[in-house]
This record gives sequence, C-alpha cells and structure tokens, in this order.
Amino acid sequence: MHSLMELQNITKQFKGKQVIQEASLSILANQIVALIGKNGCGKSTLLKIIGGLARPDSGRIIKHKQPLKIGYVPEVTPSSIPFTPEQYLLHMGTISGISKQQLLDRIDLLLDLFQLDDVRQMKINSFSKGMKQKVTIMQAVLLETDVLLLDEPLSGLDLKAQKDVEEVLVTLKKKGVSVVLTCHETNLLEQATDKVLLIKDGEVKETNFLQNTENYKNRLVFEVSAQVLTEVLLKYIMIQQKTPLEEDLYKIEAIVHQEYTDHVLKELLYNDASIKQLVPISRSQEAFYQQF
Amino acid sequence: MTGLLRYHWSSYIRSHRYIPPLTLFILTLVVNYAYKPNPIIASYSFTALMLFLLMGWFTITIFHAEDMGQQQITLMHAKSQTLYHVSLIFVCLFIAFCLSVLSTAYPIVFDTFGASVSPIHGLLGFLAHFSLATLSISLCVLFTRGIVRKKENTWWGVLFVLVLSIAVVTLKKSILPEAFIWFMPPLHLSLDMMSVEDTITSIPSLFYWQFGWIFLYGAVVIGLFFILLRKKQAF
Repeated sequence: MHSLMELQNITKQFKGKQVIQEASLSILANQIVALIGKNGCGKSTLLKIIGGLARPDSGRIIKHKQPLKIGYVPEVTPSSIPFTPEQYLLHMGTISGISKQQLLDRIDLLLDLFQLDDVRQMKINSFSKGMKQKVTIMQAVLLETDVLLLDEPLSGLDLKAQKDVEEVLVTLKKKGVSVVLTCHETNLLEQATDKVLLIKDGEVKETNFLQNTENYKNRLVFEVSAQVLTEVLLKYIMIQQKTPLEEDLYKIEAIVHQEYTDHVLKELLYNDASIKQLVPISRSQEAFYQQF
Repeated sequence: MTGLLRYHWSSYIRSHRYIPPLTLFILTLVVNYAYKPNPIIASYSFTALMLFLLMGWFTITIFHAEDMGQQQITLMHAKSQTLYHVSLIFVCLFIAFCLSVLSTAYPIVFDTFGASVSPIHGLLGFLAHFSLATLSISLCVLFTRGIVRKKENTWWGVLFVLVLSIAVVTLKKSILPEAFIWFMPPLHLSLDMMSVEDTITSIPSLFYWQFGWIFLYGAVVIGLFFILLRKKQAF
C-alpha cells in the first residue's frame, strides 16, 4: 500500500492548550484508520488539519498525490436539508465545479451503491438519521475522493444504521477510498478498521488494542442461592456486584480467571445456579476501554 | 459562484424563514398606502426606513439558513470562505433590489399618491430604498455567526446597530461632535435628502454624492466583515 499523505511533527494549540504535539502519521491507500482518545483530546482537530479545514501551528503536510481529493463528513449531521438527495448532491457537486453530465452519472452510481435509489425523489428532511448520514457521506465522495474524513460517523445512530454505515465504509474502501475517522464504537473499530491511532496527551501513537484478543479473564453473571456461595467457590471468583432477587436468591456479577472458569461453571451448574452471561475479557480490551 | 448563488437562494426559499419579514414589509406597504392621497417623497422615506430595519432580519436569516453542519460541508465544496460569503451577500442584495423596486412601484401602480409621479421621484425613491437596504446588510453581516458565536448576541447586536443608526439623526443635532458623525452609519443622509418637497424637478448633484457615500460606507463595512472573518476562522 502506498502513502497518500504524510503529516510530520504537527502541533496545534487550542485556547492556550497544546492539543496536538509533534504528531506524525501517514495515510495509506485503501486503509481505514480510526483516531481514538478521550473527549477534547484533539481527534476532531487532527481530522480537520488532515482535511485542510484547520491550519497547524507548525509541522508539514506532504501530499504524495496531486491533486489529492479529500471529502469531509462533519460530526454534526445537518438537521435540516430541504432537498431531495438528487437535488442536494447536484447542488454540492455544482459548487465543487463538477460538470452536470459527470455529476448526474456519479449521482446515479452513488445512489445505487448506497442503496438510496428508491428514495431519490424524497425530501431528506423525512429521512432517518442513518439515511441522512449516508447522504452526507455521499456528498463527500462526489469527487471520486481519495481520502474520506469522518468525524464520529456513528454517533447518535441506532445499531441497524451503524451497521449500514459500517458496510458503506467497507464498500468505499474496496473501491479504493482511504478512510480516516474518529469514533468510540468498538464494533466499527474491531470489524472495519485497519489501524487504530490513540491520541493521548497531545501525542499520536499506533495501538494494537483490538488485535490482541487473548483472553485472561471472564465476566460471569449468574443467579444462585446464598448457600452455594461457599468459601471454596469464593476462592475462584471476584464478586463485583451482589443483588438480592428474592428470598435466598441473588444475582451475582463476578470476574473469574480463564483457568478457573470451567471449574467454577461446573460447580455452579451442579448446584442449580442459572448462568446468565459469560463474556471474555482480554488485557488489551480492558486497557482499551480505559481510553474513553 | 453561480452554483453557490443558486444553492443559497434555493436553500433560503425552502427554509421559509423569509415569510415573517416579507409579511411585515408587505403589511407596511398596504397599511401605509391604504388611504390616499399620500405625499410622494415622505412616503418613500418612511418605507425605505422600514426596509432598512427589515433587511436586518432578512440578512441574518439568509446567513443562517443552513445549519452549522451543512455550512461546514458547503464551505468544503466551495473551497473558499470568501466566495461562500460573497454569494450570501449577493443573495441579500438581490432581495434588497427586488424589495426596493416593489416598494417604489407599489404606490405608482395602485395610484396612491396625491400628485403625478415623475421619473425623478421614482429614481429618488429607488435610491433611498436600495441604499438603506445595502447599508442595513453591511451593518448586520457583522453580527452573523461567522463573527458572533452566541445566537442571542446576533439579534441584540443587529437591534443595537440599527437603532443606533436611526438615533444618529437626532443625536447629530445635539451631542455628537461633527467629526464623529462621519463614522456613524449614514442613514441620516438619506432622511435629510428625502425631506425635500414633492415639487422637486431635478436631483441636486450633492444627492448623488450622498447616496454614493452610503453605498461606499456599506462597502467598507463589508470589507471590515471579511477582515474580521479571516481573523476568526482557521479555514
């Protein structure tokens, strides 16, 4: 994969605070890159610097392709777009300077690709949030974009819409578009992204939190009577929460080491406990969730 | 630029935010000319003053017709903040022009004046409307969201600057020093010119200079708007 653009030693201050400090990264072709970090850590600022919407205080941005076409989808999905998708995309494309015939062909292609062909004559204002998000992504790829930047693309969407947008991003990647996005949603990070960059204390570091999924603990939720919770069993589990349900029946949320899990489960089932949930936890996931 | 103009116009028309100021303006014309006969120049002066006030409403709603998210998208496509805002100002000027023509033609078409109207009356009427509407646009753009972040400050700012412009008419005769008047919005010049008698047969050359000064003042303030915008925005 070849590099489309490079950011070298980028710094940016915002309201007197150093949000980006000597950050360097490359954006490769056909790659989905996620920027993660706590709120206010500078994810959106870095995204805007990549898109040319904000100027860095210092550092260099090198584009290896000229012209490099960059599309941008802002964090706030427009609440009101008083046009049909076709009219809206025609307006945005015309403003970008695309010829009408080229634009009409591209709109047909995108409406088909994003599965919005059936609603091309409907007002966008009547669309669901997920459909609106698709339209805002479509405007960003009108110019056969090389790099697509998305600021929190899944925020505020229900699971079905999140899945749809995720599929769209994977399709765009297959079509040769590089995607850089900021997000909190771990599903998207686990399934669609090729690289995760963590922004912490102004520094940008690549992380493999989600690739290393070796389990070392399990989270176990079960319902059990008080007598079963003998000292022997308590040696293997670490109870996080104990909720009384009815007389002599408790809901227990506990952490158990991987090596003891089978033994604990056998013991519980043997004593008529009801297992409600068993979720594997890896060290990397535990560390990952601490970033938000 | 044509694409931006067409988009801003369609977007504004579809937002329906023009309905309240347009309704008020039409009501002003209808009520003002409900009874006849009416004086020519004084009537034009009054409706021009109303257009000056209502043009502030039009300007803010035109500049804020898109929500913030969409504005970022449109700016990204336009690739130029200046071009984006110049096209918005053109939409404002187009509306100002149409309303100035409507306001000048309405009493002539419905024959509500007491005396016959000459082309000089028509020209004076149009210039009074269009110059004040342009002045209002230039003053109000300084309070749009590119410059003023808080929504409530936008409306208080517009109200303040428009009322201040009218107040200069009275203050210049009493407390304001002569040199200071030159920096104030020159609405008072239009009101002075429009206090001539209806029997006027030719337009004095001083009037052209004074109308010219109102337009120039507006252009300078719009220039100031772009300077402030560059300082405020990172784009």
